[in-house]
Amino acid sequence: MSSSRIITQDFDYIKAVSLGEALESLAKDGARVFAGGTDLLNKIKTARDNPKLLVDITGIEELKGFSFSEGCLLIGAAVRLSFLEDEKVITERYPALHEAIKSLGSVQIRNMATLAGNLCNASPIADTAPPLMVYDAEVEISRLHNTRIEKRIISLKDFFTGPGQTVLQKGEMVTGVRVPEPMASSGAAFGKIARVTMDLAKVNCAVWLKREEAVVAEARIAVGGAAPVPVRVEKVEKALAGMRPSSKRISQAAALVGENLSPISDVRSTAKYRTDTASVLIRDTFFPAWKRSGGEEITDE
Amino acid sequence: MNERQIVLEVNGKEYKLTVKPNELLINVLRERLGLMGTKYGCGVGECGACTVLMDGNPVLSCQMLALSASGSKITTIEGIAQNGRLHPLQEAFLDEGAVQCGFCTPGMILSAKALLDKKPNPTDMEIKEAIRGNICRCTGYINILRAIKTASLKLSERSR
Repeated sequence: MSSSRIITQDFDYIKAVSLGEALESLAKDGARVFAGGTDLLNKIKTARDNPKLLVDITGIEELKGFSFSEGCLLIGAAVRLSFLEDEKVITERYPALHEAIKSLGSVQIRNMATLAGNLCNASPIADTAPPLMVYDAEVEISRLHNTRIEKRIISLKDFFTGPGQTVLQKGEMVTGVRVPEPMASSGAAFGKIARVTMDLAKVNCAVWLKREEAVVAEARIAVGGAAPVPVRVEKVEKALAGMRPSSKRISQAAALVGENLSPISDVRSTAKYRTDTASVLIRDTFFPAWKRSGGEEITDE
Repeated sequence: MNERQIVLEVNGKEYKLTVKPNELLINVLRERLGLMGTKYGCGVGECGACTVLMDGNPVLSCQMLALSASGSKITTIEGIAQNGRLHPLQEAFLDEGAVQCGFCTPGMILSAKALLDKKPNPTDMEIKEAIRGNICRCTGYINILRAIKTASLKLSERSR
């Protein structure tokens, strides 16, 4: 993998002004959605992708939407991460997503990159994937049928199909992300292990808990970087459900995570390290999530 | 190839340029406009040496197509001194010994400028967060941190 200061590949570029125009262009051979460019340009520079046409969607008004109403957060595909990181609605109601965005890359990257782009790049360690998965986010996908724009909504947990792979078909693009409002007495947090703060995660996770008095009524836990796609770890979720949390019991539940993972060894970590770390990370992330759900401090009994 | 015209305002001056789709913003700044202050480092968005300000916000000029920068206001390191006088950040970097090999300095100063423009009195942690994407391999972070704090003080004295 090498990079150079010039891009040697030839491609065409269009700055779409409407969704219809973007979708029409995306139906062409070798077309790619271009937003922040922080992942795609690297793929082009390192010859991992060779597009014929980049369709810049950042100028499309209808994709710049950001709203929170009727219990649903809507984030358009052209919304950049830096816009989201200090949004009060996210800081207050979706703290795990806030933490993930803050931890992602650098100021520069977040000024360029979009939330939808982080998902569509489909890296197994995309930081925003685990929190969005535990918040039960949905992805809005658009395509052109004859001349009409058709939309379908799918759950984020069904969106990823492999490293760099999603359910998106040719001519389709993600136009928005929808996140339902977390219910009362629930809380979530994000955790990440990386070599340094700027680095990509070795493993990341999000823990979401629904509390009923002193008991975990329901747990949703997503782990990134330890399988071909970010995954919900059901073994741990089931073990936590109905639990009156103690440090020991949380650790025991988190230790089951290996059964839901299939990590690889690469430059960032070995497979064993990833499995062991995921367990510790889930345990550590449980505590702030529990606190945010309104739970009492957990004592060792 | 499909060349197109773009309009860029760089350091207060407007340029009309014809660029190819695969030209990067850094290519235009360095090779077309001769603004060599913006450095090319890693090429993959990790080092921050190519940082410039786009409408006041730090972005990576080697991760941005010139075409998608069209219509924006770009500030490079050459554009922050005024009336022949260095910007307080530049002065502070010199005074505090925050420049060693100098390769990270333009990006580092621009990241710091964007921070101080928004937050004149940042905490140490806020400064560290702001320059997290700017890597210094002479490892002069302590002096850099001190320089940014000194500049922040100077700027707030001046505005008093």
